[in-house]
Amino acid sequence: MSVLEVQHVTGGYTRKPVIKELSFTIGKGELVGLIGLNGAGKSTTIKHIIGTMLPKEGDIRLNGITLKENMDKYRTAFSYIPETPVLYDELTLREHLQLTAMAYNLDEATLAARSEILLKEFRMEKRLNWFPAHFSKGMRQKVMIMCAFLVNPSLYIIDEPFVGLDPLGIQSLLDQMDEKKKEGASILMSTHILSTAEKHCDRIILLHEGRVRAQGTMTDLRTAFGMPNATLDDLYIAMTKEQDNE
Amino acid sequence: MNNLRDVWSSRFMHYIGEVQKYMQFIFTGHIAIVLVFLIGAGGYQYSEWLKVVSTDFPAQTIVAVVIGIILALSRPTTLLREPDQVYLLPLESKMPQYFKKALAWTFWSQVWLVGIVYIISIPLLKAVTTLTISEIWAIFFLIVVLKYLSVQGEFSYRYSSRGHLIWGDRFIRAIIFGLAVYMGLQAQLMLAFALTVIACAYVFVFRKKCAGEPVPYEHFVNLEQNRMMSFYRFANYFTDVPHLRGSIRRRGWLDWLYKSVPYAKGNAQKYLVFRTFVRTDDHFYLWVRLTAISAVIVAFVDIPVVTWIIAAALSFATTIQLKQALLSGGDFRMDMLYPQPEDARKKAVQQIVRLSMIVQAIIVGLCGIMQPMFFVTIFVIIIVSELTTKMTKS
Repeated sequence: MSVLEVQHVTGGYTRKPVIKELSFTIGKGELVGLIGLNGAGKSTTIKHIIGTMLPKEGDIRLNGITLKENMDKYRTAFSYIPETPVLYDELTLREHLQLTAMAYNLDEATLAARSEILLKEFRMEKRLNWFPAHFSKGMRQKVMIMCAFLVNPSLYIIDEPFVGLDPLGIQSLLDQMDEKKKEGASILMSTHILSTAEKHCDRIILLHEGRVRAQGTMTDLRTAFGMPNATLDDLYIAMTKEQDNE
Repeated sequence: MNNLRDVWSSRFMHYIGEVQKYMQFIFTGHIAIVLVFLIGAGGYQYSEWLKVVSTDFPAQTIVAVVIGIILALSRPTTLLREPDQVYLLPLESKMPQYFKKALAWTFWSQVWLVGIVYIISIPLLKAVTTLTISEIWAIFFLIVVLKYLSVQGEFSYRYSSRGHLIWGDRFIRAIIFGLAVYMGLQAQLMLAFALTVIACAYVFVFRKKCAGEPVPYEHFVNLEQNRMMSFYRFANYFTDVPHLRGSIRRRGWLDWLYKSVPYAKGNAQKYLVFRTFVRTDDHFYLWVRLTAISAVIVAFVDIPVVTWIIAAALSFATTIQLKQALLSGGDFRMDMLYPQPEDARKKAVQQIVRLSMIVQAIIVGLCGIMQPMFFVTIFVIIIVSELTTKMTKS
């Protein structure tokens, strides 16, 4: 059974929908890349999945249930890393981790064990008592990443994760993602760094003007576009050109 | 090219709109009444004092010092904004046009203050000195000219030195202007004129230094931000200013308080809201301010009914403002995604507000311990707070 099922979802801010008839699924242990130009509807799609926007039509199921059916269960099933880090100015790094652990019902021993590993991996052990005001953009991003991985959910939703991270941070994130995948977690990642997406994603969803233009493995996409040997960059550019000509 | 003039005009309209918006709140509030009373009382005292003032009162010196200081404080209003450092760069050579407009506004928005102070001092000067009416108005004219020089001077100094050691510059200007006004008040108009020429030369030196210097955007933008911030902070006493993000302080000495919220799933929101309350200056000082006022009144007013009414009013004000402040926040926060009941935050806010109001009640009660029936105050505060929490919408 797939972890995330998006079925015929239409939605947006005003009457004019931003995403139209969107359908895709993510299976267990799958890393799926959500790719599209600025304004293609990536962030809106993500907002619908995390439940800050509700679909006008269609259904979003996480482990078989919708947000309306069981809000607690739905929300426990995913963690989210937003494009721009959203931190509490009044909480230290340690308190961010504690708050997250409390909210997701982790016991203190689990919190201690998991956060020790994460703090080491992202080289933030020495900053436990710092407030966000003293963090750089990359460090803020790391706080978000650590909070997300602390929870150990079945689905990770990661929006534009590489911007602002240093090369070591990017590597740590990719390692963590890999590890969670092996443990059976699924990941939906939206990004513009196409080479990384091509290298790490099991499947790609190409979003254009609110619709799924194409989806599948790199081989599927190459076949769909009739470009054998093409990189994801080539396919992406081909897609936008094709749309321009229409 | 009209471009930069348009930029200035649109900024200016926006700025005036912003100031007007908050001024409404400030002057429709209680401060307007307080001001009217203060001005009335001050005016009356002043006129009474003029009747008895002795002729050896050093009016000239005092007026010259005060006017000199006010003249020297001529912070330019440039209305520059952060993005200008990038977008206006190609127009660097056209910027004098923009600054000309900005300095004209700076002059007109500041000259009235020094003008009013001088006009208020005229009755005193008439009473104490032998100056003729035409001399007094000549000095008024001199002050206006000096203000113009001061605005130009401070701008040029800041432009050429990026604001470094601005107080030194202000001190020198205050002395030259003060001396010029003093000479004027001694009816030494030639000496006053000579000092004005010196002021001109001083300003001219820095004007020269600006030539070829790039526009110090960073300094001017900083200055603008500080000015708007202090305006917003002031306005925030009367109304809620949305762009004002409260500053955060650790207040480590209150860390022991958090022990009352132990590590447990249901406590996530309480954990968060408690820290938000204690560490956000706006929330914390709101509580401190109102508690202090209530405590002082209860300690010194010995009519029980009056203290109860005041304690009740302040309990209402503290509760409703704290509740709204802690519940607000239209922006996205991570706790909106937490797998927790929808009303978790509301409940947490209620509990924290209740706790803070019990503490307020105890402090105020203890301050009134010398008064008869001081314990009633404690109940009044708690009951009013509970009713306020229950009856106001979230």
